[in-house]
Amino acid sequence: MSKKIKFSRRKFMKFMAKSGLGAAALTSAPMLNHNFLYNSAFAASGKPLIFAAAEALTGNWDPTTHTNLGQLIFESYVFGYLTRCPMKPENPTQLNFELATEATEIDKFTLEFKLRDGVTFHNGKPFGAEDVKATYEYGSQPDRPAQWYPGQVDVEVVDRLTVRIKTEKYGYPAGLFYYLSSFLPILSADDVANPNNAASRPNGTGAFKFVEQDGDNTIMEANENFFMGKPKIPRVQYNFVGDTATRTLGLLSGEYNVTERLEPEQVDTIVANGGFALNQAVSTENKYLWFRCSKPPFNDINMRKAVAHAIDREGLLDILGISGTYTGCHVSPVKFGYTDVEGFPEYNPDKCQEYLAKAGFPKGKGLPELEYITSVGFYPKTKEYGEYITALLNEQGIPVKLSVLELGAWGNKLYDREGGGPGHMIDCGWCTGSPEPDLVIRTHFHSSSKRITGIVDADIDAALDKERNAPSVGEREQILKTEVMPLLVDKMPSVPLFGSVFIHAMANDVKDLYIYPNGMMSAETASIG
Amino acid sequence: MHLAGQFVRRILQGVVVVLITTFLIFSILRIVPGDPVRLIVGGMAPDNLVEEIAQKMGLRDPIPVQFGRYLSQVVQGDLGNSYQRPKNGMMGQGGDFNANMDVEMAEVSDLILERLPYTLQLAGLALLISLIISFPLGISAGLKPKGFMSKIAFFISSIFVSIPNFWLGIVLALFITIKLGLLPSIGYQNFAYTILPAIVLAVETCPFIIRTISVSFAEISQEYFIKSGKVRGLTRNGVIYRHTLRNASIPLLNLLGIQLSTLLGGVIVVEYIFDYPGLGQLTIYAVLQRDFPLIQGIAMVTSALYVGLNIAVDLITYSIDPRLES
Amino acid sequence: MKLEDSSLSKKIFYDSWQNNFFKFSVIFFLFICLFAFIYPEISAIKAEKMNIKSKFLPPIFFEGFSWTHILGTDQLGRDMLMRCLVGLRFSLIIGFASVFIMLLFGCLVGIISGFKSSWVDVIIMRITDAQLSIPMVILAISILGVSRPNLASIILVLALSGWPLYARVSRSMALIERDKEYVRGARILGANDFRIIFFLVIPIILPPIAFVSVLDIARMMIFEAILGFLGLGVQPPTPTFGNIIADARKYLINAWWIATMPGIFLVITLVTLNFIGSTLEKSKNKIFGEGI
Repeated sequence: MSKKIKFSRRKFMKFMAKSGLGAAALTSAPMLNHNFLYNSAFAASGKPLIFAAAEALTGNWDPTTHTNLGQLIFESYVFGYLTRCPMKPENPTQLNFELATEATEIDKFTLEFKLRDGVTFHNGKPFGAEDVKATYEYGSQPDRPAQWYPGQVDVEVVDRLTVRIKTEKYGYPAGLFYYLSSFLPILSADDVANPNNAASRPNGTGAFKFVEQDGDNTIMEANENFFMGKPKIPRVQYNFVGDTATRTLGLLSGEYNVTERLEPEQVDTIVANGGFALNQAVSTENKYLWFRCSKPPFNDINMRKAVAHAIDREGLLDILGISGTYTGCHVSPVKFGYTDVEGFPEYNPDKCQEYLAKAGFPKGKGLPELEYITSVGFYPKTKEYGEYITALLNEQGIPVKLSVLELGAWGNKLYDREGGGPGHMIDCGWCTGSPEPDLVIRTHFHSSSKRITGIVDADIDAALDKERNAPSVGEREQILKTEVMPLLVDKMPSVPLFGSVFIHAMANDVKDLYIYPNGMMSAETASIG
Repeated sequence: MHLAGQFVRRILQGVVVVLITTFLIFSILRIVPGDPVRLIVGGMAPDNLVEEIAQKMGLRDPIPVQFGRYLSQVVQGDLGNSYQRPKNGMMGQGGDFNANMDVEMAEVSDLILERLPYTLQLAGLALLISLIISFPLGISAGLKPKGFMSKIAFFISSIFVSIPNFWLGIVLALFITIKLGLLPSIGYQNFAYTILPAIVLAVETCPFIIRTISVSFAEISQEYFIKSGKVRGLTRNGVIYRHTLRNASIPLLNLLGIQLSTLLGGVIVVEYIFDYPGLGQLTIYAVLQRDFPLIQGIAMVTSALYVGLNIAVDLITYSIDPRLES
Repeated sequence: MKLEDSSLSKKIFYDSWQNNFFKFSVIFFLFICLFAFIYPEISAIKAEKMNIKSKFLPPIFFEGFSWTHILGTDQLGRDMLMRCLVGLRFSLIIGFASVFIMLLFGCLVGIISGFKSSWVDVIIMRITDAQLSIPMVILAISILGVSRPNLASIILVLALSGWPLYARVSRSMALIERDKEYVRGARILGANDFRIIFFLVIPIILPPIAFVSVLDIARMMIFEAILGFLGLGVQPPTPTFGNIIADARKYLINAWWIATMPGIFLVITLVTLNFIGSTLEKSKNKIFGEGI
């Protein structure tokens, strides 16, 4: 570990402490302990909550069809989950029960959930074991585009309010569903039987009911039959506002109550203006520079390493300011199994040249023009650091052309296809609402999924399977930290650039709105004014 | 009888122009890179699915065949359905896989009609503002071509024509909306949100209007009936308002006809900057999302507006001064 | 009216040159051009050089400025003066090249159309009608759309969107020239249309139109900036006015100079060009008559 990295690490720890404090001050009530709040009667206060969101929804309400973060946020209002995981920095793995009341590991391949009684879906149908069975078995099918599941599952209905998650047939431990349960929204069994219904309108058990879509605004109202009691906020609006400056201006002028994905300069403006609370937290998202590993030149590991050594991650953090934090491996610092991998490639032009020569392109000679694709409008500062990385690579003789695409166009070029995805490198983050690391590393680096990189590597597959099949949580953590993460750094199918710090700003009169590290929200006890 | 024949001929010509326009845009969209199907099904869909859906939608047929099909639809009053916007929802984004989506898509005509009033309000106010600025300047410059006001008009026109609309929009939003808090301008809540964008548009159109007014006043004030007016003992102002204004309105109307597409072009940029929910903003997103039916619909409507306005202008011109029939 | 083209051009220019402001504008404009094309080459500071540590430096005389960067630095610590100059360079190249192409193409089409008053004329005029009826921006963004444009494609798109006006003006002039004595004379002497158009008519029609086209150079420069602003212009890392301003938009409140400086540069250049253009146009009108 170089001196430089140590410094970053210290900075990061300091930051963690700061942001932890910040988050704690903002969310003083232990609002996720649902049992505690179960009987409290909520007085209605009249103002709606208007959330200016950075990402548009897909128009298809079936949660298994997308990986759209905006829609995950929307789902956190409308749908219910077996558990919720606040992932607070001081206790990142604490689980709170929501639709479930209890989880028991029966054996390595069986996890039992006891379910809450008296919960109903928005269409009036009571919630029960059948719904969990339908949702999990449907969502885990390999053809579902969202692919959050580690593999297929069978669910056994023990009684009306007890289910058993069974994974023996598919050869991986059921314990993985412990954390995943906080990330998988529960659909009604009827909607699963009729997916067109699930696609045409959302029907969950959450605190807010979907009312209508009005242009780019998604309107929800308080669910009177919510099991914790009707929320205080009568109406929530998810407004898609694509431009960060517009989001900031709208917040300042009082048109929105809450907004997300702010950049450091805008945060300065908001702080200078006064009257707003900031919520900044290290998120579950790492941003990566993904290589198209299935085609030249990045099918050669030396090329990938050459690029990794050409990138000055300190400089990136300078550009990002408070929006980014140091990351030492392929998952975010708040994820289970995170570790600072020893020997993470630091900025070193000599090493870069060494690897370039090994790859057969000394000083970059002989390389074709490489396309580096990035997006604008959603992630903070992508264009700025995109230009920076491009300049750094050009300095080393690697001929890179930056393509800055509008979000929609970028999304369509994101994923791997037959013969390798478009371009040679692409910028993207990966953000999931659970500390579960497999949601990132298995999704992207296992040959059964290989989402963006298209990498097929027997060593990585073996390590990922070994980690997934570990007999206990402790051993799994050990394998992740000492084998999987170092292996990924060594193979470098993507360069983890930095961990994202999510910055939300909200008007001071918004109280008790909890924002998860992936941006999802809990507003059931929130109030305005 | 003669007028009616003229009118019918103009209408027929107009229809031909709109057809050519539509065909131009229709072909351009299909020739330049950017596959709408890829955007419809999302980034995760395999290439063969993209191909399959494209064929099902008829997007792989020869362009004239596609155009014929489109026209037969349009003749029945159907502009088609958007590729990207569901009837009651927003557009999909990111790497979503919507191929199995069974959601009804919004009708292009509805989308356009929904946005058109906002754009007309914006364009109307902009025109009003620029007329208010241009008339005094243009008239005084026209009546005394070597006078001080003429120089002022020249300088103001040169400066206004040099300011890029998007830059002015940003700077005004910064100072008037944010720093001073005088006028709201981002998004749309009520009429006040139209004022700032309209000012930006007005600055863009002013130079042309000032020029037209001053030139026509200079010309007309030379003409005989002004002199004869003096002979008859009318005051100078009386003459201006009685005769000149009426005659100057002809080139002005002509200018409006020609400038309409410039005005609409400006609307696109201004609406984008101010997040104003009009036709211009719809256009930008439609193009970025390769929403073919929507772009075609917008192009056809704009072109029809242009042609229609120009025919109307000719008719009005004729009724003001039958000598000018051409 | 038999006029030698060179004497006509000279006359127009000479008439404008009487105007002191015109003189000043021409000299100033030449100075700007030289500055934009030469200074970035000889300066020690490079437009693309990033220095993260010195980002967001304000222009001189504002708190925290540095003499090295008199117009300040941008979000990646690049020198604003250099970026503005390089941006201006591209803007000028695009403006001149696109107007040159549209002028040549438009006039050629217009003259042919005027001489061949038949179905060719009808078709060409309907096409210009059609194109004039679509806002330039719609046309341009439809073509540039999601593809990544380069310098050449932007110049072509701009030229494409501007040619119809030239075609119309030159057509109406060609209609007048067609019936003139010298054309008939040439025809009697056995010259074909091609010879007449290229050797007799174009030299007469082109110069007055060319003077007016100075105004269009300014328009095209604005238009290029608009495309850049919409993300459809020349791609980064090449700085253009449009993309600098678009990128700097979100820093407007904290670092106003990044968006403001290129705007001022552009406005000054355009005002100069527009003065030159308008004065030339006035002189042309005096000598050649209205209506072009």
